[in-house]
Amino acid sequence: MEYVSPEGLRLDGRRPKEVRQLKCELAVLHRADGSAYLEMGNTKVLATVYGPHEVSQRSQSLHDRALVHCEYSMATFSTGERRRRPKGDRRSVELSLVIRQSMEAAILTHLLPRTQIDIYVQVLQADGGTRAACINAATLALADAGVPMRDLVASCAAGYLNGTPLLDLNYVEDSAGGPDLTVALLPKAEKVTLLQMDSKLPLDTFEAVLGLAMDGCKAIAAHMRQALLEHTRKQAVVRGPVRL
Amino acid sequence: MGEENAVKTPGDILGRVSEYTSGRGTHVRGDHICASIVGQQSISAPAAGASDKAQLPVIEVINGKERSAVPETGSTVTAKVVRIDHRKATADILCVGLRAVTQKFTGIIRQQDVRATEIDKVEIATSFRPGDIVRAEVLSLGDARAYYLSTAKNELGVVFAKSPAGVRMVPVSWEKMQCPKTKVIELRKVAKT
Repeated sequence: MEYVSPEGLRLDGRRPKEVRQLKCELAVLHRADGSAYLEMGNTKVLATVYGPHEVSQRSQSLHDRALVHCEYSMATFSTGERRRRPKGDRRSVELSLVIRQSMEAAILTHLLPRTQIDIYVQVLQADGGTRAACINAATLALADAGVPMRDLVASCAAGYLNGTPLLDLNYVEDSAGGPDLTVALLPKAEKVTLLQMDSKLPLDTFEAVLGLAMDGCKAIAAHMRQALLEHTRKQAVVRGPVRL
Repeated sequence: MGEENAVKTPGDILGRVSEYTSGRGTHVRGDHICASIVGQQSISAPAAGASDKAQLPVIEVINGKERSAVPETGSTVTAKVVRIDHRKATADILCVGLRAVTQKFTGIIRQQDVRATEIDKVEIATSFRPGDIVRAEVLSLGDARAYYLSTAKNELGVVFAKSPAGVRMVPVSWEKMQCPKTKVIELRKVAKT
């Protein structure tokens, strides 16, 4: 199948080095300490953060840093075929772990000893790149909750199809079976917190794809920063002048 | 670095370590001070009495969100008694000073902390009942489960209690309260108003 047309357009009309349209909304749920809704094209994700609060299971409490707890789930209606998903299946356990690890790298956990931060990420609609979308949504929710972080974590996927590196794969491109690389980045420090790849790539191609994914992360980070600033300004208008 | 009250996001560079002291909501990465939360940046004069080295203005990021009040040693709290036994009364802390708490904090008033004098003759049952609202002072952070509270001062003790008839009782002495409806007298460690 042809994933890049001779005109250099992909199936959904994007150029190879183009990310899908991003849409972020912050503080969508007022019961949670922080929440964010993120759309990356047709992938729609909702993330909520509770905490920092007391550790619910006392034996898990860490005396020198915060405990980060993460749960990933997919809505039954998120894919083409409605399917009931058990909570603890392999995929969601692995994804929870991946999200937790990349968030832990950013959160200044040593500032919040003996506390727990809960991150719940739910995929409402899956169209490829859920891993990246979940990480981005989780960062925004943490920022909304006011959890201290080194930097925002931005994540983006990239692949290699028809001899072209492609940024931010959608579901059709994802299921083509080519290599699929997910990167999470602390954009200001340029530190990679997550790097995963299915299948194999020659080293020189890999570097091109990795570079592309990192550029994608930076673009997404810039967009998320913009969304955070806009949200804060709106809040400032609603609240009136801040009294210190 | 730009506007005085610019909005910053985590990771944004605010200034150099040589220019500012890192305050709340910021952290140090290499030579730079970076924001760690979303909020407005604010620069204030160094704290008085700081050492010579810290004579740099303090840079902070402030995010309008107020942290929940947390009881500290010595602070006055308002608590509701939930359980009593012969050695202690257990109470849920409702307010620290004038601020309401958002989380659940448990406090314990031990028998020896109820009043200042004749502490060996104290009986919990004649000092508190479940449902009473008590003004108390935080003695210590206590154990892992509860704060230790004390009512061993004149102005500390029960401030609100209901009689069996369901009426708010009126204090008649420092250890008695009376129901205005049934005139029944109950024993409490009453706070002086």
